Amino acid sequence: MRPTFSRLLADAARRDERVLLLTGDHGYALFDEFRRVCPGQYLNCGVAEQNMVGVAAGLAKGGFRPIVYGLAAFIPMRVLEQIKMDVCFESLPVIFIGDGAGVVYSTLGASHQCTEDLAALRAIPHINIVSPADRYELEYCFDQILAADGPSYLRFGKADRGDVHTALPRVELGDLIQVRSGSASYAFIATGSMVRTAIELAEHFGSVPVWSVPAITPVNEKQLLEIGRAHRQLFVMEEHSVHGGLGSLVAESAATSGGFRVARLGIENRFSDLCGSYSFLMSRHGLGTNELRDRIAAILADAGPDK
Amino acid sequence: MPKGAFHAPALRKTVLEMAFAGSSVHIGCAFSIVEILAVLYRSHLRLGNGQPKSAGRDYLVLSKGHGVMALYACLYELGWLQRDDIDRYFGDGTRLKGLSDVHVPGVEVTSGSLGHGLSVGVGLALAAKRKGTGQRCYAIVGDGEMNEGAIWEALLFAAQFRLDNLMVIVDENRFQAMGTTADIMMLGDLEVKLRAFGFDAVTVDGHDENALERAFSEVKSAANARPKAVVARTVKGKGVSFMENDNIWHYTRLTDATYREALRELDAA
Repeated sequence: MRPTFSRLLADAARRDERVLLLTGDHGYALFDEFRRVCPGQYLNCGVAEQNMVGVAAGLAKGGFRPIVYGLAAFIPMRVLEQIKMDVCFESLPVIFIGDGAGVVYSTLGASHQCTEDLAALRAIPHINIVSPADRYELEYCFDQILAADGPSYLRFGKADRGDVHTALPRVELGDLIQVRSGSASYAFIATGSMVRTAIELAEHFGSVPVWSVPAITPVNEKQLLEIGRAHRQLFVMEEHSVHGGLGSLVAESAATSGGFRVARLGIENRFSDLCGSYSFLMSRHGLGTNELRDRIAAILADAGPDK
Repeated sequence: MPKGAFHAPALRKTVLEMAFAGSSVHIGCAFSIVEILAVLYRSHLRLGNGQPKSAGRDYLVLSKGHGVMALYACLYELGWLQRDDIDRYFGDGTRLKGLSDVHVPGVEVTSGSLGHGLSVGVGLALAAKRKGTGQRCYAIVGDGEMNEGAIWEALLFAAQFRLDNLMVIVDENRFQAMGTTADIMMLGDLEVKLRAFGFDAVTVDGHDENALERAFSEVKSAANARPKAVVARTVKGKGVSFMENDNIWHYTRLTDATYREALRELDAA
């Protein structure tokens, strides 16, 4: 995903001189191509994220299309209020990139991990939120938010999990995309890094359909409800807190319109306590493939046999 | 005084009328920036075709949104706000809030959360520089607001990006919400600090319109790549004797008696 992202950024700047890339002194190798191709459109704003977001707002008001890059722990978390007041309140066309979302920075600890960004941004009006699963979804999401009139957040999580698509999705922003078909009475819904995991689990459990959710806001709620009503249970997987992310979103729909059960498989309300590899931390949070397999099997056993 | 003269006592009177109509607070915050706004609107801000969103206009950024009633008084003089806006301040369903909101014609940035506006102003100045439009950005920040770290981030950035079309005007009234800046968060010599941050800076009596006029012209005329700053020494509550330097007017609402007494003083000014 990262080479794709590097290319997408450079292409966007090359096509449109209004596109400016603002970074808070992060993104060492990611921007090599951008800096080579469009050095004048690259602004290192220093280790000063609050000001960077305000400057992006001013640049957008002045006719530019800023892309604000940072680690998700800082963009959006550190500057949530600037995003709310300087950008979203006026619905300015600013794109925020939160890199390393989830527990990607597994060895650096809680300061660099981010499992609350979706929850924080979902409650702010006007901002699109996308969470691509692979390089195809990344390109699709980036094209969509680049063309948007208002603000957007691109959640860039674990980027080396492999493809889940074979071509660019051709759907409306907000649509869920079926990445595996199946006839089970339950289905898997996932976003970002967890789509790959959901597919692996579906292969284990048999004929389980899997949907990827590249857009958290807006989301095609009608389609979501149709999927829910066609199954007795949805398992929602995300590398994010179970509070306020995709699992919450699906559960809110289910609670409002009823008819199906939702299991939220995300990070419980806790920080990472130990250091280790990405896969170690995912397992520790119960989100490794093996842990999820056991958790899902237990929930299915509790629910009893298909009627 | 004719409309559009930006006569300071008349502006204060409009502020007072609004504050009384809306039973609003923050009167002292508005009174300290009246002359700054009057001089900027009268002779520095280029407003293009005279409409709020005129292309190529200079930007006035009120980063200390708590002084917004003084800005409203100027916008009323420009004809961008109506008498009804003044008379019905804070009425149900009205458009003027107690802190600056970008959706009001003539208000360039939303403030109230302190330490935001200067960065947005820096972005506006940078946009103008990149496009070569010649537009200037005047950003009014409060000294209390300078407690915010984002202000100092913005100052660093403005110098680094050589934003000589930015003028930061500090309303140095030496008060913040709960007391004096000296007691709460000492700011020291702001002119020295601003110079150390790479600004051309001068200090001036913020209620002497001639001195403000000279200071704005002087710092603007310096042909260098440095951003500009004017530290305006002001009096919180300026213009009404019993409000001056009494921080209670950050919070207190007017009564019939204090309203009449304040009006009498302003009419005599």
